[in-house]
Formats: sequence, structure tokens, C-alpha cells
Amino acid sequence: MLVPVSWLRDYVAVEMPLAELGERLSVATGVVAAIEARGVSDELGNLDLFRVGKVLEAAKHPNADRLQLCKVDLGEAEARQIVCGAWNFGAGATVAVALPGAVLPNGLELDERTVRGETSNGMILSEEEVQLSSDHAGIMVLPELAPGTPLADVLPLADHVLDIEVTGNRPDLLSIYGVAREIAALYELELAPPPGIDPPPDADEPLSIAIDDLAGCPRYVGRLFRDVTVCASPVWLRARLLAAGMRPISNVVDITNYAMLALGNPLHAFDWATLRGGRIVVRRAEAGETLRTLDGVDRKLAPTDLMIADGERSVALAAIMGGEETEIGEATTDVLLEAANFEPFGIFRTSERLRLRTEGSNRWEKGVDPHLAGQAAKLATQLLVEVAGARWVGEADVHAELPERPSIPYRPERGDAAIGLSTPPAEQYGLLARLGFDRDGERVLAPTWRARDVTREIDVVEEVARFRLEDVPFTLPTRRAMFGTLSRAQQLRRRLEDALVGLGFSETYTPSLRPAGTDSGQWSLPEPISVELTVLRTLLLPSLVEAARRNVDAGAERIALFEIARVYLAGDALPDEHVRVAGIVEGGFGRVRGIVEAVYRALKAEPSFERGEDERFHPGKTARTPAGLVGELHPATLEGTWGAFELDLAPLFAVSQEPVTFEDVVSFPLVRQDIAVAVAEEVEAGALVAAVREAAGPELREARVFDVYRGEQLGSGTKSVAIRLAFQSPERTLSDDDVAPIRERIVGALAERFGAEIRS
Amino acid sequence: MDAQAVESQALSAIEAAATVDEVEEARVRFLGRKAELPQALRAVRDRETGMTLNALRRRIAESADAREEELGRAELDRRLREERVDVTLPGDELPVGHLHPITQVRRMVEDAFLGLGYEIRDDREVETVAYNFDKLAFEPTHAARSPRDTFFLDETRVLRTETSASQIHQLEEREPPVYMVSIGRVYRRDAITATRYPIFHQFEGLAVDRGITLADLKGTLRHVMRALYGPKRAVRFRTHYFPFTEPSIEPDVSCGVCGGEGCRTCKYSGWIEMGGAGMVDPRVFENVGLDPEAWSGFAFGCGLERTAQLRHDIPDIRALWEGDLRVLRQF
Repeated sequence: MLVPVSWLRDYVAVEMPLAELGERLSVATGVVAAIEARGVSDELGNLDLFRVGKVLEAAKHPNADRLQLCKVDLGEAEARQIVCGAWNFGAGATVAVALPGAVLPNGLELDERTVRGETSNGMILSEEEVQLSSDHAGIMVLPELAPGTPLADVLPLADHVLDIEVTGNRPDLLSIYGVAREIAALYELELAPPPGIDPPPDADEPLSIAIDDLAGCPRYVGRLFRDVTVCASPVWLRARLLAAGMRPISNVVDITNYAMLALGNPLHAFDWATLRGGRIVVRRAEAGETLRTLDGVDRKLAPTDLMIADGERSVALAAIMGGEETEIGEATTDVLLEAANFEPFGIFRTSERLRLRTEGSNRWEKGVDPHLAGQAAKLATQLLVEVAGARWVGEADVHAELPERPSIPYRPERGDAAIGLSTPPAEQYGLLARLGFDRDGERVLAPTWRARDVTREIDVVEEVARFRLEDVPFTLPTRRAMFGTLSRAQQLRRRLEDALVGLGFSETYTPSLRPAGTDSGQWSLPEPISVELTVLRTLLLPSLVEAARRNVDAGAERIALFEIARVYLAGDALPDEHVRVAGIVEGGFGRVRGIVEAVYRALKAEPSFERGEDERFHPGKTARTPAGLVGELHPATLEGTWGAFELDLAPLFAVSQEPVTFEDVVSFPLVRQDIAVAVAEEVEAGALVAAVREAAGPELREARVFDVYRGEQLGSGTKSVAIRLAFQSPERTLSDDDVAPIRERIVGALAERFGAEIRS
Repeated sequence: MDAQAVESQALSAIEAAATVDEVEEARVRFLGRKAELPQALRAVRDRETGMTLNALRRRIAESADAREEELGRAELDRRLREERVDVTLPGDELPVGHLHPITQVRRMVEDAFLGLGYEIRDDREVETVAYNFDKLAFEPTHAARSPRDTFFLDETRVLRTETSASQIHQLEEREPPVYMVSIGRVYRRDAITATRYPIFHQFEGLAVDRGITLADLKGTLRHVMRALYGPKRAVRFRTHYFPFTEPSIEPDVSCGVCGGEGCRTCKYSGWIEMGGAGMVDPRVFENVGLDPEAWSGFAFGCGLERTAQLRHDIPDIRALWEGDLRVLRQF
């Protein structure tokens, strides 16, 4: 919400430094994102150099056809000569003048200068030059004023604008008056009554307004005006709208916007002559109905949309946007002013469906006080009469029973207990009173403009808390039962991260959303923000492959990346989410398998590998562990030789032997023996080792393949696998006689299961 | 044999030796098989002479050993000096990995809260509308319920917009006291810019116990902010609005770049917004079957990316998501 300070001062005496006000509002009300100076700088007496002038003479410049040479009375001993490029004035006009030395809002510093041989001792100003509007068609012609009058006394030349971020629960702050009320409460200042006093009506013409849906539209104030002159608004009005961030359009439209900004109740004006049947009906849209809104778009309406209709058809999308056919134009003379109230949810639903959000809908969605419509009508009426020369000739105010002020039980001591700071009850009731609350014994009555937000005791507590927020001390909960430890999975995850970092991997984060297509069984977004982020991923590896490719393109060396994140698999009501670790590394199968073995070892787990298969991987160099795939990537997946793995954390952590049980490997010596067997080529080393372990029994400490040999004397289709064995007992020193039968069992098992021939 | 003469000759020969070889020569000359002293020893017949000569032989041998060691060490040093390398040359290239800054910050957050006695949770990311919005007391018109702000899978399922749903599950599953922090990915339908990414990480804390106050929330947040940003940071609290907390506040930390004077980083306010917080709304307690008169609590949430960006002065959030080793290897 943009709040011009000059406008604010209509309602409350803002005299404190603005920076301090900004800080106070930021803490207690809503963040003041910026305090911006608008218009002419008021520093170093600059404002004094802007004066009212009276043009005494104006004639063509002797040396320039397009310039005027003027003599301007500025209330000084002698009139000044000023060269001017505009022709929309003549002798006798009252104008705005900047004297030499003045700095304009655009930063230009004026000085006395010579224009085509004639001295120019100042500048006659247009509205644009002092940021009063974007109108630079000519200079400003002012009403008759004494020459020399400081311009700032008659025009809003210099202003500051507070940019306040208003939270969704405070639609009352989407108005200048609402912000003034807040400031008055914070600083214990007097607050002016709300703006808008009804002029006496000019006639009492009947006006037919019917509300078919009082739940959707609890109130509709319609007022009829005749003999309206539609033209540009006066400069003060335009300046205020501009400062508050709205574009001036015409006086009638500007007045509705002005009243909305002042009080927070959006208004609408119809060209009465275009309304058929001379009446207004508030109803839901009929099947198949359409409406062309002010922005020129034809809107297909749904039966849930709330409409303003005349005797025959819909003329406005209630609370969101008016219709094009009934909008105010230059030819409009009779105006129907709408000051209504709309229920938020229906408006939100329609605005969502049509993807149409406006200043009006933004306020209605948050809930506007139904009591406000009358006051907004008064302010707009006053201005239509004063500014647009309108005659007010008729009124209807149709409404359901207006809601009563919420009556809330309140215990000041409950507030103290929730806040952790004692505030004497008198002080609590005092600040509540300044915000419009009234005490009613053990209860408080909330003001109507807070009726949606403040309905419970805790809501009242918040009012006290926000006023005293800076005084609230810093304490910690007095804990009785709580304990902070990482879970086993969290501890193992950290170990996993650290292990991979130790192995030279860099951790990366990639988006959990992927382009549509390649994976099956996905959960996809019906309304993605980009094709790249459409489907919840079922694999981590494709993201890492892309990251690796980008790094190759960027010239990186020794690429090794990992990520730990979730994948989203098919599930019942919700996706089956698994946390996984995936990695990609330059190098072949041996390297990546070594890495996965190291990861298992870091987790105190024993890996087991069997042949695996996956289209992304090399058909001959892919293994599977119970937790997932490990292998060399298929060159079609990524050019070059790359190892990759993707493992589910749950099965990985399930096999962790942490905490490790101590084994006595020191007291008695280890007996080492090597064994080499000739087996058929297709027998896998893993199967041999598994058989060795099974046959050997508890004394076998280690069984590791250390050599695979192929040679002529073995014949083709046969290989020799050498396995290093180590035996140890925690109870005694093993002799060769102890080991011999174990070795025999091993040899026997290998011969039986694989037809292995012992070579040594 | 003149023992005294032999001794003085031998010792001075050893003393005079300049290399290990010369010591060896002297050793052979005086203690070798054909030398005078061993010859004499072999000829000895009486015990006293034997002891005297043996002592002499030992003294010569010890002297030779000592001299040899002295010279050996000097020679080794001389040789090692010749093996001198350029110590300014790089060493062997060993693989060095890097934890992502988000993980580094995540661990800091975890450790800060473990120290306060909180549990750490990492729960599901796809949630029902009931858990993501309804039970958290989002009003029907709240902007977050719009598919413009939130990723919906369909009418009842969303990518969670905050980790709070995890807190609802916890409060339904167990009796207070509960002190927990949820950390994980959340999703908002924002276009990708330097400051926003539609996927980011949040840490959200929840404390539910008897007699928890707004002052406890202020104290806890100040502790955590200082743990993350340094003990000298000022922490300010502003009133705010969230559906699931009442009163609601937002913590700001004094700007680390300008120290609060105002600069581009803090948009000239001197403060950096850190997230949202507040006292658990009684409606949330009612939604999980807890009596709001008996229990009170606070909740807060902040972004890990934002924390990482502020800690490391990373201007563009996209740098955290691109997996570029030039970036990752800095951390």
C-alpha cells in the first residue's frame, strides 16, 4: 500500500521523523519497505524557489517563432523576464514558476540563461516537471492567486510516500484512513473523523436495486447523479492518485478510486444511460452468459460468478471489474455510483477462475467491513458534487442485517501468560481502545473493520503483543522433557556424505521436477511453470548425468558428483517417497565399484553384488546390490567412460553393522593362505567367494580375489581365480593342522559347485 | 706391545679419519686380524693382561663406532641435501570432495537445534491439501491455496508449500512436549530468478509444551540466528500474519554487509528478513485434538538457501542448483 504522507496528514498529525515512524510501523503493523520522496526536493530551501507568478506580458520571442517571451510578476520589486515554450496561456494567467537555483525532480538545476538572445530568469512549469502528472501538453494554469505565494502552499509539490506491506489479515490497512488510525493508536494522537460528508440531496428520484444473493452481496448502496461533467480531475486529486500508485483517468473514475484509497471500500460508477430497465440486480451469472469487461476481454461466466445486472443483462463482474458497455465516458452525464459489500470467498473463486486480480478484488478477497459502504458513498458523493458538478438525485441502500461487533471474552492475565511480559490491564485496555476496541466487563468488543480478523481471545492478545513487541524479553523454554539427538538414519546419512566427500565427490542439488517423458509411473503437474519442471522424478541419476555433461562442457576435470534426495514412486494416495544417494564419476566399472565398496565400508556394511541390468548402463558392466544399481554408464547415456550408482538409503542403512561389535584379532596370529582355482569363464568371482565363506566357517577372517589369470595352458573358456584367505581364532593359535581341513572343505565346495580345479 | 702407544695411535688415527672409509681403515689397522693388538690378545696367557687389552680393544672399537656414526650422519645429511626438491611445486593430486553449502548450513541448523534439545525430522514432500492447508488453518481465500502460488497434483494433493505438515503429523502421533525441527524441500510456484527458485529448502521448528511464551520464541530465534550468523548480530522482530500462528512475527537480522547502516544487500533498511514465526494458533491445536488452554507453543520457518546465500555472499540462488563444479569446489 502506497501511503502519501500529505494525504495521511488530513487525518492524523504526522510530525515525528518519518524514519522513526517507518520503524515503528514495521515492527507493530506492517513492514515499511520504503519511504520515497516524491516531487520537488525540500532540502536546502529548494522548495522556496518555487513560486506563484502572474503573467503581465506574453508575446512571441523576437528571434524564435515557437517561444514566448513573458514578463512575470513574482511579488518582487521588479517583474522577471522568462522564455517559455508553451502557448496555452497569455497575459493575465496565474502560473507556477521555478526561480534560478531551483532543482527540479528530474535533477535539473535551473540558472539564469540566455535563450536566442533574450535572458530567461526562471521557468514556467508544467505538471510533469514537478511530478504532479504525466501531462506535459502545456504549462500549469492556476486559479487567481497572489504573485509570490510559495507554490508549496497551493500545490502538493513535495511529498513522501510510505510503501507499507500489508498482511492478508488487515484489509483495513489498505486505506489511507486505516493507516492513519493505526498511527494515531501507536502514537496516542487524535484521529480525524473519517472523510466524507453528504451534501444535501438535490432530488429524491426512486432507484430500484434488488439483491438476489444477500450472502454474496450483503449490502448495495446505489446513488444516482445527474448533470455530471466528465473531464480530467483537478491537479490535487490527480497528484494524490499518482502518489498512491494509481493512474488518473477521468474525474468520475478518479473519485471512485480516491474513495477506495481513502477508506478501503472499492466503488464502481456506471453510465446510467446505458443501464437498461433503470434498475440494478445483484445475482449469480446465468448459464452461457458472457460479459466484455473494461479491459476489452470477453469473459465466459460460470453460475458461481456474482454479477451486477441491469434489467436485462449482466453489466459488471461484481467486485472485480466493470463491463465495457456501461463504463463512464466523456459523453456520460448521469452516473450510478455503486458502494457495495461483497463476500470474500465467492469473489476469490471467480477471480481465481478468470485469473483476474484487480485493486478491487484484492480488497474484497480479504474481507471489507460492510459498515464501510455508507461512508465510502458519502465521500464519493461529496466529491462528485464538488469536483464534477454533479447533482445527487437519488439513493437506495439495500442490505442484509449488518454483522454485529464481535464480543470476545478477554483475560488480560492470559495475554501476559502468552506473551511472557506483564502489561498492566489498564494499559492493555487503553491501547485496545485506541484501536477501536471497547471493554465490556470481562469481554471486549472488536471494531467492525477488524471483525473478520479478531474473533478470539488470542487475536486480542496479538493486538497487545504487537504494540509491545520490542519490550518482550528474550527467554528460552523451561524444558522438562526433551532430548536432541540425530536419529540413526541421520547419523548414517552424515557419514555417507562425509565418505563420498572423502572419496573426492562434490555434492550437488538438482531439481526434483524433470521434463515430461522418459520415466514411467510418474506424478506430473497439470500446471507446471516450465516444461523442464513438470514431473516428479523417479530417478536421481538423469539429473546427475546432465550436471556431469554441463561440467564437461565447462571444461571441468576429475568430475565426481553426488546427490542425496527423494524420488517419487507410484503409491496409493500419495507418492511412495524414497531417499536415495546417486553418484557419477569419471572412470570405469572398477572405479565405481570400488567407490561403492568404500561407501559400504564407511557405513560398516558388507556389500553384495550380483549382475544387474538397466538401459542406461553398460550391458556387461552393471551390478546390483540390494540397495540399487552400480555400474559403468552406457556410452549412449553419456559419452566417455563413466561410473554411476543410485542406491536407496533405507536398505543401505539396514545392513549397517553400526555399532560394530569388537572382535579379538590381536591375541592370536592370523594364518594366511592363497588358493588358485581354474573355473569356467562364466563363473563369477562373487559366487566363488560366497561359496568359500559358506564352506569355511567362523575361522575364515578374510576371502578376497586378488588375481584373475587367463593363459594358453588353461585353454580357452577357462580362467584361474586366485583368492587370498586368512584364518584366525579368537581363542587359540591356529596350526597348519587346524587350517588343513578347512581348506579341504573349501576346495571340495568349489569343485562340487563350480567344477573348480585346484591349481595351487 | 706398548699398549699406551697403540691406544694413542689408534685414537688419533680414528680422530683424524675424515670419512667412514678412513674410520674403517683405522679399525682394520688397529683391530683387524693381523693388527698388533688382536695378535697380542691371542698370545695373552694371564688374566690381568687379558682384561687390560680387552678393555683397550673395547675403547678403540667404541671410539671407532662413535666416529663412524658421527661421520655417517654428516655424510647422510650431505647426501640428503643433494636430494633437495622444489618445495613450492604442487603435491600429488588427491581427490578432494566438497559438501554443498546447503548441506553445510543444514548441519549448522541441525547442530544448533540439537544443542537446544530438538529432534530433527525430514518428512514427505507431497502432501494432502488437508495437511498442507486445512489443518494449518489456512482460510479458504488464502493466496497460497491458489494454483497460481502452489503446485497442485490435483484437487487434493500438493507439493508441500512449507514443512509444517510434518509438524501436524507429529502432533497427531504423539503427546507433547514436542520440540522438533523439520528440514527439507518445499515448493512454491515462483518463476526462476536470481532471488527465487520454485524448489527450496526450509527449516521449520516447533515447540509445544506447557507455558511456552512469545518471549521464549524471541529468545530461541535470537539464539539460532546468532548461531548461524555470528554472536554479534542484532535481531529484530516485526508483527506479521500467518494462518497457523497467532500472534505472528518475523525475525530480521542486522545486515552483515553494512552492519545496519543500510546498503544494497539490505535494501537500505539495515535489516535482512529471515523468515516467519509465531505462537501456534489455537485452531491448529484443536485440529490435532490438543487443548489450547493446556498447551501452548511456537513455530518458525526459514530458508536454507537464503541462509547459505547470506553466509557465503552468493548473489544468485540459481548457483545452488546447477551442479557446476566451479561453484561447488569453492565450498
